[in-house]
Amino acid sequence: MNLSMTFDDWAVMDFFISMLIVGIGIALLATGLFTSYFGAGKSQKIGFGLLFSGVAILVIVYALTFEAGLGVADQFNEKEFKQALVSGIAALAGMMTGMFVILFVLMKVDTVDDLEDLDLEDLEDLDLDEELKKLEEELNGADSDEPAGKEKAQEEEE
Amino acid sequence: MDAEYADIAVIMGITGAMLSMLGMGLLIAYYGSSKTRNVGFLFLIIGLGLGYYLATSGSDTVELHNSLLAFVGGMLGGILGIIAFLVAIIKS
Repeated sequence: MNLSMTFDDWAVMDFFISMLIVGIGIALLATGLFTSYFGAGKSQKIGFGLLFSGVAILVIVYALTFEAGLGVADQFNEKEFKQALVSGIAALAGMMTGMFVILFVLMKVDTVDDLEDLDLEDLEDLDLDEELKKLEEELNGADSDEPAGKEKAQEEEE
Repeated sequence: MDAEYADIAVIMGITGAMLSMLGMGLLIAYYGSSKTRNVGFLFLIIGLGLGYYLATSGSDTVELHNSLLAFVGGMLGGILGIIAFLVAIIKS
């Protein structure tokens, strides 16, 4: 595998710049699609603007790379552009696969291991009726803290 | 598909998986506890294994530096596009 560290070997224009512009175009296209579909009013108009910008950018990149019959001089090498596109898509697909594998393994592994530290004897000793009474008393105490005027008004209403 | 493109796709696919394994493995191994941490170390080892495979084998026709350049460019472009979208939405 060729991994050159010499800057002269790097085809920055054909690989980096072309993919940078394609990335911007695809991001604008995707966000424009969502915004124009789900947005309303002003947001929808912005979505259409983004969608149009994304399509325009992708068409321009296409015209700058391939013979589109528009009389535009090619700026990107056709073969290297295809290589760059394949590289970007393959790397993204690889990353997504890796993420899926990680999520799958993490979900399969029982990560709740703090239960061993939990003292279940404390739970067994709990008297639920007693706890309920305490809660009721606390609630009654909270109700009695309310201003007397309100209580009277409620009684009169009843 | 051209054999050269197939080579690029395979090598870059493995590179992408290696990057996610190393990145997520580091995070999980650092922030995880007991069992989760062990899984993080496993991901790290898998990532290093993939890196070793890439370094020792692989087609000479693939120019990895240019492919990585394309990948970084694409990611950066995507981020810039999303920033442009956010600016357009927030400013409206």
